[in-house]
Amino acid sequence: MCVRCEISRRSLLAGGGVLAASLATGVAQARISPSTMVPLIGPGYRPTDADEIGMWQQMERAEEEIAGSNLLIKDPALVSYLQNIIGTVGGPAAKDMRIYLAHIPEFNAMMFPSGFAVVFTGLLLRMRNEAQLAGVIAHESGHFLRRHQIRAWRDLKRKSDIFAVGSLLAGMAGGAAGVNTGDVVQLAELGTLLSLFSYSREMEAEADAMGVKLIAQAGYAPLEMANVWQQLIGEMNQSARYRRKRRDRASLFDTHPSPDARMKDLRLSAQEVTVAGRSYDNHRARYLQTIAPIRQTLLDDQVRQNDPGASQYLLNTLALDGWNGLLRYYEGEVWRLRNRVGDEQRAAQSYAVAVAYPDAPPEAWRSHGLALFKAGRTGEGRVALSRYLSMKPAAPDAPFIRQMIG
Amino acid sequence: MRKIGIALALALSVSASACVQTRQFADTQFTPPQGNYRLLVMRPDVVVNWLTMGGMPEQRADWTEQARANITAALEAQQADRGGQTKVLARRNELPGVSADEIAELERLHNAVGQSIALHKYSGAALPTKRGKGLDYTLGEGAVSLGRRTGYDYALFLHAEDNIASTGRTALQVLGIAGCAIGFCAPSGGNNQFAYASLVDLRTGEVVWFNVLQTGSQLPGVKFGDIRNPQGAAQMVDRLLGRMKPGRQARQAMEKK
Repeated sequence: MCVRCEISRRSLLAGGGVLAASLATGVAQARISPSTMVPLIGPGYRPTDADEIGMWQQMERAEEEIAGSNLLIKDPALVSYLQNIIGTVGGPAAKDMRIYLAHIPEFNAMMFPSGFAVVFTGLLLRMRNEAQLAGVIAHESGHFLRRHQIRAWRDLKRKSDIFAVGSLLAGMAGGAAGVNTGDVVQLAELGTLLSLFSYSREMEAEADAMGVKLIAQAGYAPLEMANVWQQLIGEMNQSARYRRKRRDRASLFDTHPSPDARMKDLRLSAQEVTVAGRSYDNHRARYLQTIAPIRQTLLDDQVRQNDPGASQYLLNTLALDGWNGLLRYYEGEVWRLRNRVGDEQRAAQSYAVAVAYPDAPPEAWRSHGLALFKAGRTGEGRVALSRYLSMKPAAPDAPFIRQMIG
Repeated sequence: MRKIGIALALALSVSASACVQTRQFADTQFTPPQGNYRLLVMRPDVVVNWLTMGGMPEQRADWTEQARANITAALEAQQADRGGQTKVLARRNELPGVSADEIAELERLHNAVGQSIALHKYSGAALPTKRGKGLDYTLGEGAVSLGRRTGYDYALFLHAEDNIASTGRTALQVLGIAGCAIGFCAPSGGNNQFAYASLVDLRTGEVVWFNVLQTGSQLPGVKFGDIRNPQGAAQMVDRLLGRMKPGRQARQAMEKK
């Protein structure tokens, strides 16, 4: 149950070999109104049915592994910040859920059946304010509050039972009549598979509706959740255009509704949950202040993905709230790493602009200095490189730079 | 008549597919631990599922806990018979002077190594560089250091899984085989078990012995020792660890004597 993931689709497809029973399916998932979304569990929820108890037992080990993983970022300020957000938008389970931050440069977050969530650092990079982050976290809380994992598992059990019996009976009837029913059984298998994906999309739509309701109740601007998807669509389009491909279109095998549909539905839902006269906030300043210590790492991770289209789109989106030295420096890095004709000059320009900002990172001065050297402006280059050395005297390449500037 | 012939042949092949299989590999120098050795059993990974009618395994918490206790008891009894002193970890932080993180690291490393062993020794993707070398894998310095500090000679990693067919699943199996009478045989899997054990020599860090146990049948109602009860667990532990074979060179040396 993640915001957007491939893993569950693969496991559903792999598990699909055993399943089926034809049911009406379609890619379109009707919007679910936030007003119909009520939490199905209360505070301190513990499972009582055997299947759910078994699932939680499995999750105990999973959580132990995740909590001990060396991919986690354990910075107490960041972790308690995330924990506070889930404590604000977690509905009745706010005090029960746990949240972990994993150092993975992708847009994703996920909720596990026993109420712990994992947020990827790639998500923190992409969020423009706290309301957007709260929206994603609220979506994940929605999965837990609506008991999605156990419902999905029961759906899978039910449909696989029906398919097992159905295909056996069909085979026996065929055997008795001397007809091969293989084709029909295969069709039924596909039908079951598709209905599982459709059920998964329905739950994602539920979580979106639940999430938008939760953030609005907490005073966050509900429209920001739709903006997350608008940004994601823009990023995927740009990324695809650079690779001269088209963005993936919706298919019957999607576990999640298409980003376009989700964005539109979230827009409508946001209007629905907005109470006239109430003021909503996005807490941008607080968000930027909290992630400031790791923002450079986040940007660094992103530009090394070798996806210039996405990286550029992200930088431009983040810069809608104002350019700064850090963003300009990484803009230069995107050009430099892309390395097409003219990119060197473009990168040099970005570095030159970056160092004009008071918050330019030391690396911006280094790159600016090296670019000046290349252009033959060694005098100015020396000044820039000295600035780099004074900002970061212990840099790994400091001896080399020192030798260069003589 | 021909139809019945085919059905019979199928029915026979069905019953032939009920089996208990083990396959072990050992380091060429390996001799099974005997006498006064100290064995550390890492937290046994035991799972009991019940199989839904459609064949989906679903973990059952109470059965799993029962089975874990049974397997632990059976293991302790078995090793005591051989003269070994055994400590079975129930938690990661039980060893004095060893952090839970260190045990976790070792478990993860063993997981990765175990996957390599499964791939290159059991799944047929044999490596030419490991040909004729028996079991040639190591957990390295971390394992040696653990042994030095705790005084254990061996560490054992254990996974045991028992899948118990639900009534619905058994009924489906019965139907599938009954179908043979009208020319539609659809045998399906019921009760089955999967387990592996991996023995690491903490003096060298090497994985010296590895065994995989599989049981299963397409005949409804066949059981292979239910690990939810002590007898079944003892049977599984015996099948898995009861007949450790020495490695090739060790065996040749013994024969010379």
